[in-house]
Order: sequence, then structure tokens, then C-alpha cells
Amino acid sequence: MTLRGVCAVIGVERSKLAAQLKTRLVLAACAAGPFVFAVAMRVQSNVPADTLFGRSVTESGLAVPLVVLGFAALWVFPAVASVVGGDLFSAEDRYGTWATLLTRSCTRAELFAGKVLTALGFSLLAAVVLAASSVAAGLLVIGGQPLIDLSGVLLPPRQALVRVALAWASALPSAVGFSALAVLASVATRSSAPGIGLPVVIALTMQLYALVDGPEAIRRSLITSGFGAWHGLLAEPSYYGPIADGAIVSGLYLVVCLAIAYRMLQHRDIGG
Amino acid sequence: MRRSFARRVAGRVLASGAALVLGGCGQSPITPARIEPALEATFANLVELQVSRLRLPPIAAPDFAVTAICRKQLAGANAGAGDWTCSLVWQGPNRQTLRDTYDLFVATDGCYTATVTGESLGGPILKASDGSDVRNLLYTFEGCFDTM
Repeated sequence: MTLRGVCAVIGVERSKLAAQLKTRLVLAACAAGPFVFAVAMRVQSNVPADTLFGRSVTESGLAVPLVVLGFAALWVFPAVASVVGGDLFSAEDRYGTWATLLTRSCTRAELFAGKVLTALGFSLLAAVVLAASSVAAGLLVIGGQPLIDLSGVLLPPRQALVRVALAWASALPSAVGFSALAVLASVATRSSAPGIGLPVVIALTMQLYALVDGPEAIRRSLITSGFGAWHGLLAEPSYYGPIADGAIVSGLYLVVCLAIAYRMLQHRDIGG
Repeated sequence: MRRSFARRVAGRVLASGAALVLGGCGQSPITPARIEPALEATFANLVELQVSRLRLPPIAAPDFAVTAICRKQLAGANAGAGDWTCSLVWQGPNRQTLRDTYDLFVATDGCYTATVTGESLGGPILKASDGSDVRNLLYTFEGCFDTM
């Protein structure tokens, strides 16, 4: 496997993604969604009171990215990870292009690495676009007022902005972990429907388990636990244990899912 | 050299994984010992903020001397996520002793929503001394505490 080969695969996959309507729609929704939400909060009196920072959303624009982050953790991250990660490998099965790809001067390892990096990169790009758009929407539509944190302390705007950025950064390992899960589903099922649907169903199941007062060890071993780890950053004193745990768990999911997916791809009999 | 580094990294990951699993076994980390100090601090900070928003003379959070006693609403073990009731005793702005009760819903990740029972702290909206409407920060509020 050579870096040049991997980069060539990434280049091809990137141009394929750029030409797809679904990826453009996802990125457009990530960019526009927070503005629609912020405007809706501005023009009507109801607030999402059942979400952390939902009551503060009309008082400080810096609450907007945190409410969006809470919502994204439930639905957006798993769905975005699946849209690309769950389809990258199975698309070659659907179009019957594996044999053509492998007759080119790239190995299975290079193909695998290039496609995986493309999937992870798209997840991260979507998360960054959503984060930046949420912050911009909050500041432009609601304003940059101080934010009351989860310990009742009033944070000055600059300090709140730093914590909001860290909160979004803390969710990235879990988003990457879901991409790896989607890649595994795509390779294992060779079909886009389960490749895209399975990670979303798994995410929902994990979220449902988090509502149940079951064994703590199981809750901590779920990839979705990392999505809520940012709460510690908005408390006084801040605590970071859940973020470290979430990163370790996501790392384990990433390594295990990709190792299984790679082994499956290596041992697959791809005929001409 | 490379092999020993890989071994060290693998050892650290295994140790972290074991700590994660073993640390998660046993009783729920959601106990009165964790809820009460978190609620006391958050409530005191919010009272300080509320006093300032109502344009009353400022008082520092520790001066409210908040004490919380929490118990789970369901009979059985006094631990775990779910519905809790917390009684707060604190010193009001005029140094009088006040008692309030909150219903808490505590989630498995240690985040809670507290809603006051009764009318002692006013409704969801209060009038400031200048006549403007102010959200009552003490009516319903959220907080989180570390469960690890």
C-alpha cells in the first residue's frame, strides 16, 4: 500500500461525492438548518424546553449551537455518517464495478484506506459545517449575550464560545466511530439500504438504552455516550472523564469495525 | 523499539477499557451524595443571578447557605436515574430561612431538570423592580454532575 495510491483513491471518491446530489443536500441542510431553527426561535415564543439549554435559546445565541448539538447527537451524526459511509463500498456492488476498480493500478488495501478516509472526512466536514453554521446562526439571529451554564454560572460570551467549540470537538470521535460502523455495514451487507439504515437503527437503540437505568458499564460502552460527554465542559468545575471515556470507546469501535471490514474485503472473491 | 511502544499503547488501552468496565459495575453512580452538592451549588448560583436580574442588592452565592436533602421517589434503593424529590433549606436575601421543594428528573448521564413544587418562588415569569418581565431562573432549571 502506498500513500500515492491512497491519495488517488481519495481523489476519485471525493469527485464522485461532489457530483452526488445527496451529499450536496446533506451539506446544504447542515449549513441552512441552524439558521431556520434560530429564526423560528426568534419569531415565536415556544422554546425546546425538554432539551439542555433549550430555555436559554432566546436569551443567548450561544445556546443555539448547544441545542443543535444535542439534536445532532440523536439524529444527525449517525444519519450523516451512514449517508456516505454506508454507501461507499456497497455502491461498487450495486454498479458491479469492483472488478474494474481492482484491475486498475491500486490494491484492495489502498481502495479500502481511501474509501474509509473519504467516509471519515465527510463525517467530519458535515460536523464542522453544522457547528460553524450553528454558532453563526446563534450569534447573528439571537445575539452574543452571556450564557448561563449547567451550574448556574453566567459565562461571558468569549468564554462560552470557547466551551461551545470544545463541546462540538468532543462529539467528533463518536461521529467518526459511527462512520466506521457504517463502513462495516456497507462492506458486510454489500447493500446500501442496510448500510445506511443499520447504523441509524443501532444509534436509536443505543439512545433508547441510555434512557433506561441499566448497568452503567453497558451505557459507558455505547458509542452514543460520547455524544453527551460535552455536558461536563459546561459545568463548574468542568469534568472531562466522560470525554476521555467517549474517545476510548469510539476508538475501539473504529479499530474493531474497520479491522473486520478490511478482513471481509480482503477475503472476498471478486470475479470479473 | 517500535514493538515496545505498540505494547505500551496496547497496555494503556486495555487498562482504560478495564477501568471503564470495572468502574461501571456495581451501584448506580446517581446517588444523593452526588446530586445534593450539585443542586446546592447550581441553585445558589442561580439565586445570585436572579437577584442581580431583578436589580436587587447583590449577594454572593455562598451567602445563601443552601442545603439539599434528596431522596428517590420510588421506594427501594435510594440511587439511580429517574424521579427524585429534593428539599432545599437556604437563607433568603433578608436573612430569613426559606424552604423549597424541587422535583428532579435525573437522566442516566447525570443531567437533571429541577422544577419547583408550589408557588413559594413565584411563577415562570417575574417582574423586575423596573417593571420588566424576567424569566424566573429558579422555577425550572437544568444541571449536570459527574457520574464517574
